[in-house]
Amino acid sequence: MPERVLKRYSEVRLEIFRIVIKNMNKNNKLQYSFVSLCAAVMVSVAGTAWAQVAFVLNSSEDTVSLIDTKTYKEISRNRVGREPHHLMATPDDKSLIVANVQSNDLVFFDPLTGAQQKRVDKISDAYQLGYSPDRKWFVAASLALDRVDIYSAADLKLVKRLPTPRGPSHIAFSADNRHVFVTLQNTNNIAIIDYIDQKVVATLPVGKQPAGIWVTPDDKHVLVGVMGADFVAVVDWRKRVLTQKIRTAPGAHNFLPMGDKRRLLITNRVSNSISIIDMTTLSVLETFKVPGGPDCMELTADGKELWVTSRWIQKVTVMDMETKKIKIQIPVGRSPHGIYIHAHAPRQ
Amino acid sequence: MFEFISQTFAAVQGWVFETAVQPLIFHLGLMAYVEDAHNAVATVLIGIIEIAVLCAVLKPLEAWRPVEQWGDRKAVRADVIYTWLHRLGVLPLLIFLLLVVPVSEFDAWLRMNDMVRPNIEDVIPGITRNGFAAFLITVIVIDFVEYVMHRLQHRFNWWWALHSLHHSQRQMSFWTDDRNHLLDDVLTSAGVALAALAIGVPSSQFVMAVIAARMIESLSHVNARIDFGWLGNRLLVGPSYHRRHHAIGAGHEGVYRGVNFATLFPVWDMLFRTADFTPGYQPTGIRDQLTGRDYGLGFWEQQWLGLQRMKNVLMGRPASP
Repeated sequence: MPERVLKRYSEVRLEIFRIVIKNMNKNNKLQYSFVSLCAAVMVSVAGTAWAQVAFVLNSSEDTVSLIDTKTYKEISRNRVGREPHHLMATPDDKSLIVANVQSNDLVFFDPLTGAQQKRVDKISDAYQLGYSPDRKWFVAASLALDRVDIYSAADLKLVKRLPTPRGPSHIAFSADNRHVFVTLQNTNNIAIIDYIDQKVVATLPVGKQPAGIWVTPDDKHVLVGVMGADFVAVVDWRKRVLTQKIRTAPGAHNFLPMGDKRRLLITNRVSNSISIIDMTTLSVLETFKVPGGPDCMELTADGKELWVTSRWIQKVTVMDMETKKIKIQIPVGRSPHGIYIHAHAPRQ
Repeated sequence: MFEFISQTFAAVQGWVFETAVQPLIFHLGLMAYVEDAHNAVATVLIGIIEIAVLCAVLKPLEAWRPVEQWGDRKAVRADVIYTWLHRLGVLPLLIFLLLVVPVSEFDAWLRMNDMVRPNIEDVIPGITRNGFAAFLITVIVIDFVEYVMHRLQHRFNWWWALHSLHHSQRQMSFWTDDRNHLLDDVLTSAGVALAALAIGVPSSQFVMAVIAARMIESLSHVNARIDFGWLGNRLLVGPSYHRRHHAIGAGHEGVYRGVNFATLFPVWDMLFRTADFTPGYQPTGIRDQLTGRDYGLGFWEQQWLGLQRMKNVLMGRPASP
């Protein structure tokens, strides 16, 4: 078929899908099933076309934007809950969890189609969330309420509510299925929590307003984006000492691995840039400009595109990772924060 | 169109924030408040736009059909200062700093105990999830809360001691809307914030509701002969209707200690029998000003005298400070 016909076919499908998603009533099981069936058929017919939806959480307007990653068009923008910030896939990859901070709930989506699956209440103030490597525990950091909640991952029942110093923000797990690391944004520390014994075992100073946190693949170092400064703090978490500062740029904020167990991206919010860190040498490989207060990121599975929420300018910026230039900017809702694409580079 | 405006505004807000504000808070070590600072930039920009619109629309109206002509406009100057301080976010920032701790502590306590605030958008799914419907409900509920508080401002002598500053303007113009005692502002802002918290108003809706209300309130104080007509005066508070609330001999007298308390919708006055549709454009002010009571000319003098009045009321002293 000529390419223009295929393109038109794709556009028509996109429009139908957009209308269906926009108008579906998530409370109506019959309608929901019908839409899911349609979506499934569309996915099978169109190959990977529908497997490429980007989710963007517009934290200040309580909505989630769905963007077609092929056409870069916003398909829909629907209310999801109050103040959504972060999101992650379930360990089986069958659902995408959006955490709504102010409405104390989690909303589960089909990561392929964007159809809503279910809502789980009474998960209070889940700012950042994560599953332990053994998938037994679900941990949520409560930035506003100064605590870390530990849930049983199987049924999301609260097991332990741990008070912490002020501002528990981002979290990362060690490989030993025992420790979770939490940045304490308002006290310039990180906390090391033993979630088996359910207690804070240590707090370590790392620098002003620590935000993003990541554990190196060798499970030796914890890397911390120090937002109030211009570096990534390197912590030997077993020895509990700050061993190094990797200079990136002002406003070092959040991490994303590039999938090769070596390179790690970090956004620098104040300097409007992203740095690539080598996790083996603990040094900066490259820094490139990204406008609008870059925050969370998603790297496509082929590694060619980096999608970044540009928090201050209400856009998602898509970077071409070969040229490190802007490919396109997509308007979304106010204060875009978390972002997710199912066909993403491995989280390692 | 709305999306275009929203994106253009975001671009300007982002530029101002990244150029002037973010570097400052970074160097001050306040990056934990970076999102709040970004929102504050929006407040200031909205305020500038509001003042520009007011000057572009209401100033010509006052020149075209003035109720009163003043040779000396000294009395208006303080009102202009109040308006700038309000719309540029200086007073709201002070109020926010005063209220943020108790309000957010209360909210945190609720959420800590798994008491999630109701959400106005979930009241009638299908209707209230429509953004405009939710916005309308927000405006109506907040307007009712403001009506109740306004009745109390006139009802309690200690509160009237503060609120009378607003009524003491005898050269009422569109600048008069923000002429309030700071303590009066704190009290009313706390009431509105708690109401918004109670009914679960999303912050974006709240901001829109406040902007809409402020524009209509500025219009209702305008020094111009504008009457919305029989039906219009019963649907929306306009200049002639609100002027009656400020009229000497009507604004703070009678059984209910005043008339026409509504901020946006006269329906509350009609429901609670406080509506007065007497036609005409009476002089504004408070009766005791006719016998020489001084409410002050400048900003600080007005604030000080307001506190003095309240102190006297609370201590049971004679009215005059």
